[in-house]
Amino acid sequence: MAKTILIVDDSASLRQVVSIALKGAGYDVIEACDGVDGLSKLDGRKIHLIISDVNMPNMDGITFVKESKQKPAYKFTPVIMLTTEAGDAKKQAGQAAGAKAWVVKPFQPAQMLSAVSKLILP
Amino acid sequence: MSVPVTQSTTAQPSEPRQYLTFTLGGEMFAVETLSVKEIIEYGQITAVPMMPPSIRGVINLRGAVVPVIDLKARFGAQPTEVTRRTCIVIIELGSGDEHQVIGIVVDTVSEVLEIPQSEIEPPPAFGARIRADFISGMGKIAGRFVILLEMGRVLSVDELATLSSLAERSEPSALAA
Amino acid sequence: MTINLDDALHTFIAESRELLQQMEEALLDMESQPNDPETINAIFRAAHTIKGSAGLFGLDHIVAFTHVAESVLDRVRNNEIKLDEALGALLLKAGDHMGQLIELLARHETPDEATTAAGEALVASLETYLETAPSHAVSVIDEARHDLSVASGVANPNWHVSLRFGPDVLRQGMDPVSILRYLSTLGEITAIHAVTDAVPMLAEIDPEACYLGFELALASLAAPAEIDGAFDFVRDDCLIHLIAPHAPLADYRQMIGALSKDPDMRQVLLALGSLNADEIARLDAPEETAETNAGQPEAGAEVVETTGKESKTAETSLIRVDAAKLDQLINLVGELIIAGAGASMVARNLKVPSLIEATTLVSRLVEDVRDSALTLRMVQIGATFNRFRRVVRDVAKEIGKDIELDIRGGDTELDKTVVEKIGDPLTHIVRNSMDHGIEPADVRLAAGKPATGQLRLNAFHESGSIVIEVSDDGGGLKKDRILKKAIERGLVSENQTLSDKEIFNLVFEPGFSTAEQVSKLSGRGVGMDVVKRNIMALRGTVDIESVEGVGTTVRIRLPLTLAIIDGFMVGVGTASYVLPLDMVVECIELPPSSSGHEPTPNYLNLRGGVLPFIRLREQFEVSAPAPARENVVVVQYAGQRAGLVVDRLMGEFQTVIKPLGKVFSQVRGIGGSTILGSGEVALILDIPGLVKQVTTPNQSALGVGQEQAASIKE
Repeated sequence: MAKTILIVDDSASLRQVVSIALKGAGYDVIEACDGVDGLSKLDGRKIHLIISDVNMPNMDGITFVKESKQKPAYKFTPVIMLTTEAGDAKKQAGQAAGAKAWVVKPFQPAQMLSAVSKLILP
Repeated sequence: MSVPVTQSTTAQPSEPRQYLTFTLGGEMFAVETLSVKEIIEYGQITAVPMMPPSIRGVINLRGAVVPVIDLKARFGAQPTEVTRRTCIVIIELGSGDEHQVIGIVVDTVSEVLEIPQSEIEPPPAFGARIRADFISGMGKIAGRFVILLEMGRVLSVDELATLSSLAERSEPSALAA
Repeated sequence: MTINLDDALHTFIAESRELLQQMEEALLDMESQPNDPETINAIFRAAHTIKGSAGLFGLDHIVAFTHVAESVLDRVRNNEIKLDEALGALLLKAGDHMGQLIELLARHETPDEATTAAGEALVASLETYLETAPSHAVSVIDEARHDLSVASGVANPNWHVSLRFGPDVLRQGMDPVSILRYLSTLGEITAIHAVTDAVPMLAEIDPEACYLGFELALASLAAPAEIDGAFDFVRDDCLIHLIAPHAPLADYRQMIGALSKDPDMRQVLLALGSLNADEIARLDAPEETAETNAGQPEAGAEVVETTGKESKTAETSLIRVDAAKLDQLINLVGELIIAGAGASMVARNLKVPSLIEATTLVSRLVEDVRDSALTLRMVQIGATFNRFRRVVRDVAKEIGKDIELDIRGGDTELDKTVVEKIGDPLTHIVRNSMDHGIEPADVRLAAGKPATGQLRLNAFHESGSIVIEVSDDGGGLKKDRILKKAIERGLVSENQTLSDKEIFNLVFEPGFSTAEQVSKLSGRGVGMDVVKRNIMALRGTVDIESVEGVGTTVRIRLPLTLAIIDGFMVGVGTASYVLPLDMVVECIELPPSSSGHEPTPNYLNLRGGVLPFIRLREQFEVSAPAPARENVVVVQYAGQRAGLVVDRLMGEFQTVIKPLGKVFSQVRGIGGSTILGSGEVALILDIPGLVKQVTTPNQSALGVGQEQAASIKE
């Protein structure tokens, strides 16, 4: 069975492109538009990887990751944060929240696939 | 009464095309079945006031409001008199934004015929009772000539719209009299 | 990888438009409440999101431009620089430029030289805000190091990888096995040794902790950076040694030194084939120490960015739906209403009580469905109003007036089609108010008013319509001047007495706007007559209230939806016609004096006033004789009254409007059609068009048209 990836980002077009790329590589993809929506998708179903943006309305990515780690079913789910090189040095906040992997925006679909495959293969 | 008409696929120029023949004031006409959507019984037509005789009114075709043209009046004769055999042939023209569905009133619907290209003559330079540009050709059926109508011209929406507005403009003088 | 991104690109364009709109609104907000962190973050996020998504599509020119704007915004966000008026204006322009790039993209065009030059100029201006910014250090893995030392390197043609995982990697979702799997996509793991020394006694094992390490040999032709990249996500928590093929022996020496806890490293290296016996022996010789200067590549310099703050923008649980699908749904519901009415009629004719009851229930439910379906098309007018903040700001600067915009009732909902079509007329009215309504500051001060002019946009619902008001506290309309001009232009005759309202409404007459009135702002070839025509095309009305010296209010009244009409049905001859109910004032019987066979004047005395009327029977050339008693429907629109003489009054009903199609596109007096419960088509009358048709032959229609309409017939 294909592995499932949850992508949380407020940009619909980004979700769409990443989703097309990941599905093309053989993953299943679930989308969420912000942290709150993302948490609602963590409803017990098996998710092998979470990709989350940092700066989102309603609930930012750091809070979302922290909250996700509180859910036993997703405690060990790897998280890729979408960061920006212009961002200030708050990497530790992400790390402390449990997000060790990152992809720097803007990225090409191939870069995302490469990052994902370092954590899970389809 | 509703007669389904088989829609032939795009015919090659050399292949015989299918025509629906009908009569109008005793004369026989034909239209390509490609543009015929369906044939319905003449019924409940809502007249649109201030229109020339050639624009008979509108009908409800399964929820769509479709204009109905009196072909005889359009050809310059008296409007068609409605009998039990009077029909409305629903014609579909154009595509996309230009797509139009228009009904035409005919005396009787005869049959669907195949007319090979070899049996079609070019329209006569004069002598026909209707405008030359309305005729796409003359089909020979059993030794008789049938006028093949150029529906794109007969039902030119621009021309009909102009007609309707002209008729309207002549109205106020009638009123003032 | 080739994937079809056309769909996604459409999403990107729509999304960017929306984000730029939000960015503009937020920037304008900043003018009134500077330094609100949430607003700044919203502006930043808009630029950030566009950049991020543009990158995915390889739209490098958009990424490059947006990157500069984003960097400036980042500094604002970090309180390194202040978002003052100048920067605000610059960022608005940057937003405009981004908008241009997006629109070009939407049209599949590439930026021309002028656009590119404008972009470069903006970048240059933006960069002045970046000059003092600390540059973000980016560490580069020194790949050259390996190449330089090949000559003196070890014999091993494979990479040697030494991994000691930190105890927390599992908790962080990093599975050591995943890394090994990923490595094997880059090459072949020719030999591997698991380091299990750190695994404690069973009783002491923390099941969530990782105690493992690996030593492995990797045969790979991948670039060093690619192999190094495999450890991107575990670098911080793990001890990693990556030694290239033919690396200097000193690299191994340094690694063994770092892993001094593992006493049997030499045997492992020998067993894996990473070092041969000779090289193991040379490990302890001191000659190559000079080379052991470079340590492990630094952990990536990428930083995780966070705000730690929650935004309050509500956009969850919204879905995008193609407007055409909604239209289709509403059409179907319209069909359902008509079919339902047909069924009810059959039931009533059959007089079966249970059937009547059932069809009544169905009809009621269908009406509920219709109401809900219509609400799907309703959007708030706020977005349209907010667009004027920019217009007002720019125009005020341009004409050198100080004008404040007050927006109210932004949450009032109306049909999407109406919203789309009201923008242009509204723009014209707003510009007109700013240009001609609000006086220059010195005039205002002299009149004892505050120097800053007030412009207000307001919207509210009133009896099934939406009312949109544009008010200003300017000089008001000058009645005598309007009247004088109207007389000059032959719009009214000198001896006519007009009410204030009628005089004000003259400004909507074609040919009223004059050359000297037309400034570069309002006079762009569009007169107030076009505004009125556009509003009437939406089945709306517009009128003006004005007090000289105090201000002017232009009031637009629009139906909530264009798909449904509250109709009033009348009969003439055998035909039924529908009038828009909101235009019907009252119904009276036609007095016998006017219904005789002799030609009589087409007006009657309605409570002392003159009411001109149109005999639909004559107008529509109905040949059947008139019934003994005829009725007059008194209609009102745009402040005028007129009568329509009909045979029968058939009452109110709500119905779905069906367009009549192109054949009837030039017909005046008929506005559309609808299908009755019987399946018959009924025509909807266009009252303004009908009156105009009666009055047109002699004179253009007027705000005071009915007097003329009456006089023509005499």
